[in-house]
Amino acid sequence: MDRNYHVFSNGRLERHEDTLRLATEDGEKKHIPIENAEAVYLHGQIDFNTRLLSFLNDNGIAAHVFGWNDYYSGSVMPERGQTSGRTVVSQVRAYDDPAHRRDLAAAFVRGSIHNMRANVAYYDGRSADLDATLERLDTVADSVAEADDVEELMGVEATARKAYYGTFDSVLRDEFELGTREYNPPPNEVNSLLSFGNALVYANCVSAIRATALDPAVSYLHEPGERRYSLSLDLADLFKPLLTDRVLFRLVNRRQITTDDFETELGECLLTERGRQTFSKEFEETLERTVEHPELNRKVSYQYLLRLEAYKLKKHLLAGEAYEPFRRWW
Amino acid sequence: MSESIDPVDRLLATARGDAAADPFRVTGVMMQYYHACERELWFASRQLEIDRENPAVVRGTRVDETAYGGRESKQLGMIAIDLLEDGRVVEVKPSSKLVEPARMQLAYYLWYLDRVAGVQRDGVLAHPRERERETVELTDDLAERVEDAIRGIHDLVTEESPPPAEEKPFCEACAYHDFCWC
Ligand code: SF4
Repeated sequence: MDRNYHVFSNGRLERHEDTLRLATEDGEKKHIPIENAEAVYLHGQIDFNTRLLSFLNDNGIAAHVFGWNDYYSGSVMPERGQTSGRTVVSQVRAYDDPAHRRDLAAAFVRGSIHNMRANVAYYDGRSADLDATLERLDTVADSVAEADDVEELMGVEATARKAYYGTFDSVLRDEFELGTREYNPPPNEVNSLLSFGNALVYANCVSAIRATALDPAVSYLHEPGERRYSLSLDLADLFKPLLTDRVLFRLVNRRQITTDDFETELGECLLTERGRQTFSKEFEETLERTVEHPELNRKVSYQYLLRLEAYKLKKHLLAGEAYEPFRRWW
Repeated sequence: MSESIDPVDRLLATARGDAAADPFRVTGVMMQYYHACERELWFASRQLEIDRENPAVVRGTRVDETAYGGRESKQLGMIAIDLLEDGRVVEVKPSSKLVEPARMQLAYYLWYLDRVAGVQRDGVLAHPRERERETVELTDDLAERVEDAIRGIHDLVTEESPPPAEEKPFCEACAYHDFCWC
């Protein structure tokens, strides 16, 4: 599976002969190998020209742009010849059929709850809170079947996530506290880490979806148009517990991320460049972790699980085979 | 209307250019897929594209390009055939597991040459790394099997959904492997 490259400094990204070159503001020049690049993540202020864009396009590399305080600002996606009218039509048909859309949305919610539960179960035994949450999540999971439409399913998902986030404070060491999940702006360290991590999951899902010719703008649980790539929101929900949350727990509890890695300005708590670097590094290592896949009979990376999820959805939409959401099985 | 026409006649009408509005085509690869795995054929017929970087795809392309350097390739309507110097049609069999699909692909070429172009040729089934070659002749029996396969392909590609996955010895090397089994 191809790798992601993160660029944190400010400077200029350019095509240099047949490689990518980053010229930083302090005059340093770095090469990024392109042969096995899936995407470049641009976190700093980066200048580039159209020559670079065609180069990225020719090599099938995406550029995901991260702004300073809203973290994900957009992507420049390679064409890859991956557009398929038939695929988009089947996506839209499923969206337009309320029962079909509901079933897909329910699958995403079921999968998400299962994966949240897997994290809670992993940390279970530390406090009584977690036992209660496990039970609560089981009850909420049961209510998925009774939800008649997408709106209700959104409610079910929100209830589960709230119960799940309620366990964070007993899992995280004392200095770090989530309190409640807040988005804009993230008021504390944990919220800030969640926003950053989820943006990385989201961008990786954009890449996975684009590799299959699915249209990232046609979604089921989330309303299309909620964001440009709302299908990424659907898929990202399944993977946030596996990726964002576990990376967060590890880094905080091993003291690899401390309160020094944040800056607070006007009530907005943001990761410093060093903090984002630490998080991204652990995040990328997590994407490269592998697990034995029971059906494929080989080890696959976590990153490849995202691609498989897009395959499964596409197969469901075009071949009519049942869609089973990703559930952590190990 | 088209449902009532025999797919073989429909194919011949397409080949003669009489069916511009409702063409039915069978390529050599489709004939091969049909005998290797019907599910694979269904996926391919829907242009369910897999990743370009998939190693199985890359491997398949390479065997074809390098196996017989001095061949002459001819495009003839819906098929592309490779001719040996003596005019025989050659088809490379990619592996011992896929002999029958390759043989049927070759048989289809011979059938197509005969029925569409009115040219009778023999075929050679060859493997780049094994010296032995098998000569294939279009007998009545083989022609009938080709026509049955054309009908089978027609039915399959007009199905709403693919036949279910069944483990095959070449699944591991199939371009659709992950798509199929995930
Ligand atoms: S993986 Fe196996 S069953 Fe699936 S399409 Fe390929 S050969 Fe057929």
